Amino acid sequence: MAEVDDRIELDWDALEVGETFEKFEYLLTQEMIDTYRKGVMDPEASFPTIAHKVDVRQYNDRYTDAGSVNARCAFHCYNPPTPGKRLTVTAWIADKYLRRGKNYIVTEAVSVDEDGRLIDRVITHELKQPSEVGKKWGG
Amino acid sequence: MGRIIRDYAEGDEITTLVKELTQEAINLFEGSAGNTGPSQFTDVHAAKEVLGTEGTVASGRMSLTFAIEMLRRHFGPEVFNHTGIVDLRFLRPVRPGDTITFTGKVTGTSKEANGSRVSVAIEVKNQKGDTTGVGQGSAIVPNAFLPPEDL
Repeated sequence: MAEVDDRIELDWDALEVGETFEKFEYLLTQEMIDTYRKGVMDPEASFPTIAHKVDVRQYNDRYTDAGSVNARCAFHCYNPPTPGKRLTVTAWIADKYLRRGKNYIVTEAVSVDEDGRLIDRVITHELKQPSEVGKKWGG
Repeated sequence: MGRIIRDYAEGDEITTLVKELTQEAINLFEGSAGNTGPSQFTDVHAAKEVLGTEGTVASGRMSLTFAIEMLRRHFGPEVFNHTGIVDLRFLRPVRPGDTITFTGKVTGTSKEANGSRVSVAIEVKNQKGDTTGVGQGSAIVPNAFLPPEDL
């Protein structure tokens, strides 16, 4: 049976800054870390959580839109995560703004492990008209 | 490993970091988080549909990761992995086959409770010399890692 997509179509004007999503949990495995380190060609890379894009994950579970382009991203390092620990992510809409006629949404997320250790914070500015960027990039 | 005592001055250059992007590296980055479905990063058709580009692009978060690596190597993991911040703006796409070079320059220091925050301007260029990203990073270097004259 086909899954029903019950996501809400994004209404940028109606989106409320401060909206906080349901907490999200996942297990960070050694295999995930090894694959990440291979991909970024750095055997000491300490924050594989970056690849999990946890700040936009819950947004994407709740809303559907035309896609997005990452325009800006900030990452705060607190403690490298430990393999085999469950991480809990709290994510929210931190801001939204209009620049040069284009709509942006800022999401923010904080990850904490099962022992209560603060892991990282990520803040992402996403442009919500990705095809505009494609035109500028010239294919 | 012994503690590295080092002073930080405005204008100091950070050791550059060079990365050669391949589609395999992009696929591994995306796959490490279980993102195995087609996307603008891994699939040419998805990139065409979402971005209107002729090929895939690397996630900006890969550039972010590389900037973090450059600063971690400079400050040391014992400092950067606990106090480091990187904030990057992505100006142009990074594609498979690109060689990107990360450079950094110390822009200033400011006192914090138990050390000094050292700020760094970051620039990313591709093999054509086009700037693909700009931003800043910082870390709080504990007093124990600074020479006495800097305290």
